[in-house]
Amino acid sequence: MADKLLSGRRVLVVEDETLILMMIEGMLTDLGCESVTAAATVDKALALIDTQVFDAAMLDMNMNGNTSHSVAEALVARGVPFVYCTGNDGHEITGANHDWPVLKKPFKDEQLAEILRRLLSPD
Amino acid sequence: MGSDRAERSSIVILDLYVNQIDPPASMSDITKKSEEQEAAEAEVERFRKNLGPFVVAAETTRMAMVFADATEPHNPLIFANDAFLSLTGYDREEVLGKSFNFLMAHGADAEALARIKNAFEGTSNGGAEVLYRRKDGSEFWTGLFISPVYDGHGNLVQYFASFVDLTLYKENEAKSKRLIDELNHRVKNTLATVQSIVWQAMRTASGPQLIREAIESRLFALSRSHDLLTRENWESAGLFDIVHDALEPFEGAKRIVIKGENIRFAPKSALALGIVFNELATNAVKYGALSNDEGSILIEWTMEPTPENTRLSLHWQEKDGPPVLTPSRIGFGSRVIERSLSHELEGTVNLDFRPDGLACTMTIPMPRVTRGR
Repeated sequence: MADKLLSGRRVLVVEDETLILMMIEGMLTDLGCESVTAAATVDKALALIDTQVFDAAMLDMNMNGNTSHSVAEALVARGVPFVYCTGNDGHEITGANHDWPVLKKPFKDEQLAEILRRLLSPD
Repeated sequence: MGSDRAERSSIVILDLYVNQIDPPASMSDITKKSEEQEAAEAEVERFRKNLGPFVVAAETTRMAMVFADATEPHNPLIFANDAFLSLTGYDREEVLGKSFNFLMAHGADAEALARIKNAFEGTSNGGAEVLYRRKDGSEFWTGLFISPVYDGHGNLVQYFASFVDLTLYKENEAKSKRLIDELNHRVKNTLATVQSIVWQAMRTASGPQLIREAIESRLFALSRSHDLLTRENWESAGLFDIVHDALEPFEGAKRIVIKGENIRFAPKSALALGIVFNELATNAVKYGALSNDEGSILIEWTMEPTPENTRLSLHWQEKDGPPVLTPSRIGFGSRVIERSLSHELEGTVNLDFRPDGLACTMTIPMPRVTRGR
């Protein structure tokens, strides 16, 4: 199941619900990612982006009621491609940076892999 | 008092009607129209006599109402009742003579103008919703109902308009939209959580029976936490209730003692703690103090002040169960407990598999502590 494009990659997962996070970590590990780092809060995510290098990120849009715009901005500033993750309807996603793909919860591991492949493929 | 009011109101009406029938005119007009004028004044008098009580009712009702002149361009207002004045914040002399649409918050709003036009032409059903602006600048939604008023010759002379304040209705509408969005968000997250529960069970449990048990146990735990939070209007839940409700369905729950304040946790933290205590109890029933007939569990917690905030220190102590063996590998239950505490609650947890009984110690920082009610 490991994927050539994803193996050895370092991925940041910004998700505040433990059970959902554990599943995403499992999916990414199955895909061959080298390391998966998790943040449950905007502050922790910003601190991690400041100190570590990531190849890609998954970003929950709504962190316990707080929007994650500042995290998206920090990722853009560092050139880290990312995918938004949300429980909201597509058309309810307002103010999000539309340059980036959106995964709607719940999602399948194939969908996650497909999006990450697109984010990481050199075009 | 009522009669004073009625008299004053009638006078106002009479003046207004005279104004309407007798517009500013040149000297020649006045002489030319004197007969017409007399007829008109008589008409007003008749109108007042016939409809006097209704006009008084219009003046004193709590529903905002105006009469507008149908014979002039822009339908200037010729009558406004007290309710209209209190709804809009204007004095009577400030509104009389103004165009009917002077209150519109966005005067160029073509759609709203079309709705008002339809209301004037009687082609709208149930009135038009229009956003108006008060004298103080604040805006409000109103439901506008317009009826034409004809004179004795069947000529359209006035429009009678009433306004229903839709502020509360609009607020409720917005609130229910927010609630539906919030509900959808929660449902989707819950479905993802269920997906995770199934996903983990398929990976760690072997055999359909064990997989089913692993899934059901966690779904029921989630369900009980939802019940508790629903009873609390999804505002918060008390720790005592969270622990009690998580453990209550387990066999041997009578041998569990819970001691501690009902410290409040936000819904998300309450859900996380519900899962944690479900995992601990599942372990106790399978391998620990609840797996025989003698064992018992003591759960107690205290709040400890720290330089930055307050810290919750919780101890789960099992005793008199069968001898405890340190698990050969870290199971999903232990990982959920550890991750929930560190990731979601920003705390720490220590699982000590002592031979005489599992001891679990949790430390959770309480940044915004709210004491039990």
